[in-house]
Amino acid sequence: MHEVANTPRGRGVLACIQCGRCTSSCPVARVTEEHNPRKLMEMIILGLRSDVLSERLPWYCLSCFTCLDRCPQGGDVGEVMFAIRNLTVREGKIPEGVLIQAKSLFENGRVVTASRMALIQREKYGLNEEPSVDVEAVRQILKKTRFDKLISKGK
Amino acid sequence: MQKSVLVIGGGVAGIQASLDLANRGFRVHLVEKNPSIGGRMAQLDKTFPTMDCSMCILAPKMIECSHHPNVQLLSYSEIREVNGSAGNFKVKVLKKPRYVDEKKCTGCGICSENCPTEAPNEFDENIGARKAIYMPFPQAVPRVAVIDKESCVECGLCEKICPAGAVNREQQPEEVKLDVGAIVVATGFDMFDPSAIPQYGYGRFKNVISAMELERLLCASGPTGGHLIRPSEGKKPRHIAFIQCVGSRDRREWIGHPYCSSICCKYAVKDAVLIKEHEPNSHVTIFYIDMRAFGRGFQEFVNRAKSEFGIEFIRSNPGEISEDSKTNDLLIPFEDPVTRTVQSIHFDLVVLCPALVPSKGMPELAKTLGIELDNYGFVRLEDSVRRPLDTTVHGIFCCGYCVGPKTGDIPDSITQGSATAALVAEVLASKEAQ
Amino acid sequence: MKYAFFAGCLIPAREPQYENSVQKIAPKLGIELVAMKGVNCCAPFSIQSLDHTSWLALAARNLCLAEEMRLNIVTLCNDCYESLLMANTILKENKETRDEVNNILVDVDLEFKGKIDVKIFSDVLYEDVGLEKVKNAIKRPFNGLRVAVQPGCHLSKPKRLHFGQRMGVLALDELVEATGATSIPYERKEACCGGPLRGINDEVALRVAKQKLDSMKAAGADSIVTVCPFCYLELDMGQIEIKRHVKEEYDLPVLSFAELLRIAMGMNLEDWEIKTHRIPITKILNIVEAK
Repeated sequence: MHEVANTPRGRGVLACIQCGRCTSSCPVARVTEEHNPRKLMEMIILGLRSDVLSERLPWYCLSCFTCLDRCPQGGDVGEVMFAIRNLTVREGKIPEGVLIQAKSLFENGRVVTASRMALIQREKYGLNEEPSVDVEAVRQILKKTRFDKLISKGK
Repeated sequence: MQKSVLVIGGGVAGIQASLDLANRGFRVHLVEKNPSIGGRMAQLDKTFPTMDCSMCILAPKMIECSHHPNVQLLSYSEIREVNGSAGNFKVKVLKKPRYVDEKKCTGCGICSENCPTEAPNEFDENIGARKAIYMPFPQAVPRVAVIDKESCVECGLCEKICPAGAVNREQQPEEVKLDVGAIVVATGFDMFDPSAIPQYGYGRFKNVISAMELERLLCASGPTGGHLIRPSEGKKPRHIAFIQCVGSRDRREWIGHPYCSSICCKYAVKDAVLIKEHEPNSHVTIFYIDMRAFGRGFQEFVNRAKSEFGIEFIRSNPGEISEDSKTNDLLIPFEDPVTRTVQSIHFDLVVLCPALVPSKGMPELAKTLGIELDNYGFVRLEDSVRRPLDTTVHGIFCCGYCVGPKTGDIPDSITQGSATAALVAEVLASKEAQ
Repeated sequence: MKYAFFAGCLIPAREPQYENSVQKIAPKLGIELVAMKGVNCCAPFSIQSLDHTSWLALAARNLCLAEEMRLNIVTLCNDCYESLLMANTILKENKETRDEVNNILVDVDLEFKGKIDVKIFSDVLYEDVGLEKVKNAIKRPFNGLRVAVQPGCHLSKPKRLHFGQRMGVLALDELVEATGATSIPYERKEACCGGPLRGINDEVALRVAKQKLDSMKAAGADSIVTVCPFCYLELDMGQIEIKRHVKEEYDLPVLSFAELLRIAMGMNLEDWEIKTHRIPITKILNIVEAK
């Protein structure tokens, strides 16, 4: 629990009183039993580290912040999710879809690049070229934060 | 040095303080902003945990207040100005016009029976109606009618038919000057308006009500004669839910009530038991975060609620309520503590237990008295440990819920009322000795 | 009114029609959108989930570029808005974090000073342009159109980040109603569409979208208006995918609010733009052509 509390955006876990309002409000918990914000907070509090930092569990969250807006104690569940994912990533567990975005970011400075269709449309219909990206600058930043090393751990 | 005392607020705490002081020989001026004394306790059906009839306990005290030779009852009045200091306060009270002569009115009620105009009944939490000329409630003290001029159509019928000739539609507000040695603030509480939490649908969904509204529906002197009905179409509810901590224990800035209101767990269980007593075939569910039943008899009461009355306690706080617009039934999604998944249950009626907040008008009153309020708007205590009933002005004391949520139940309010009476006597005695 | 225009990644790459509409309506409402050179991805939630400092540094770089232009940033996408606004707020308020990020930015010759603000286009229309001016620009009102407005989560949540701003959902409703359409109330208006999980967990994303669409349909909507390009994708493309999987149809055409305004202001969409909408928008267009 303290590991999460001391990770950026993870402080809220210390305030959780396990009331369950977050889970009752969560749009994902409504449609799948796999995701339960209150339970995740409970697991953190109980110290079930390897269960929490799994490849699957923290990645159901939509970061819609409904839980955060309704939590009566400042548990900041939606923020704690980011902290858990940061910790999970450090252990090399990154879902495929996220890894693709990350790689695109490092290669092109953007998480998604123009589809062929979009490029044709932009050219044909008078939109200026896609806004330019300074890829070098992005890579420099990401190298300094060791982002590149982080994502290379992912499969 | 005056041997008179001003008590502001005619709820059970203020009434107790007034009687104790009056019995000791002090002259008490009891000022109440509503047309009748009685406060919140008068609105309740039964009290916890003994399930005594609330009015049966309160009414004798109310009557004693009205008849006591040492008590001057200034109902439908407000404090306008206060100057001076302990031993010698100079107070100006504004008596709002009832448009009925207190000395002549016999409380027969013929005026309201014949009045053609209706308005929402405040005592019944705006469920049901009262007339423009009305008696606040059957056991009102003083038992004098009052005209609500805003709703009144000025037909003059009441004036014509009053057998005592008590109606005076030209009555003017009256200023009463008082010289008192000490003041007791006993202004009680209001309930937080749950429409500040839009996810619960209060104000939009007809069958989502607040706890005080439930009290009036359950009360035999209430708008339905004590029959619990669904506001949408008047049918009996079969499945009733309580949601605790609506606004209480909430640290969000825009809600502003991080404290526990201390009596809601208790009254919710009491109301749940009352409902089961009225309708044994109904099913009652309480959604709670913690069940705070401290003190003698309360945990036992909760246990009985479970075992004897079959009330369901679910340790899970729902985040929202949705409504079936055709039936006005309600759906509550919640995390089931057993299966750890989100379930939804249909209810006919949902009762929200809101935070208890300081009485409306406290900021103005505090300014008039020169006392400080705490960051929640309750009366700030001089020293919350050693002098827990002293306000920040010497000679002004406080009792009851206006002190804040440490007041746990009615006996606490009564105890505090008596305690302030003793403190007042002490101040006045010491001033006399000077 | 001049703004540094932050178009994000998704709109230029996959929804150029949205950008086109914005470029067409902005000058008519007195807004000058100045292109930002060399901006990078805002770092949406997927990147924020990977590494905290990387996010702050990437977002800060964009903020610095706007600072150099001495202009406030306006975004189109809710996720860009959230990312840049949150980063801007954190860096303005927290010296230690600011120093840490500036230590990284120094490598690319930039320094975050906290001199500009981050806005989203719908708020700019409401607050800076004003409802009166927008109403005056409407030439073809959408009378009778029952819109389920999809504000998107990051327009107004988390509340404490947007605290004190009375804009957001309210502004969007009033802008839509300024075009003559009705913004209908519906149960799950402030709920998420499921968009962020596209590509990560499509199954769950669609289930969440379905809840949203069910609620819109139950309230009697005949169309949807979005702000966020993720919402747009999830609710437009999502209807096709839901039809494929569970055979349920909604026939709720989706427009971005910029497109809605553009049409209402008397401009026609080009054929290629109309075709980008997976659920045909013919019935929306018919309402104005009928005039």
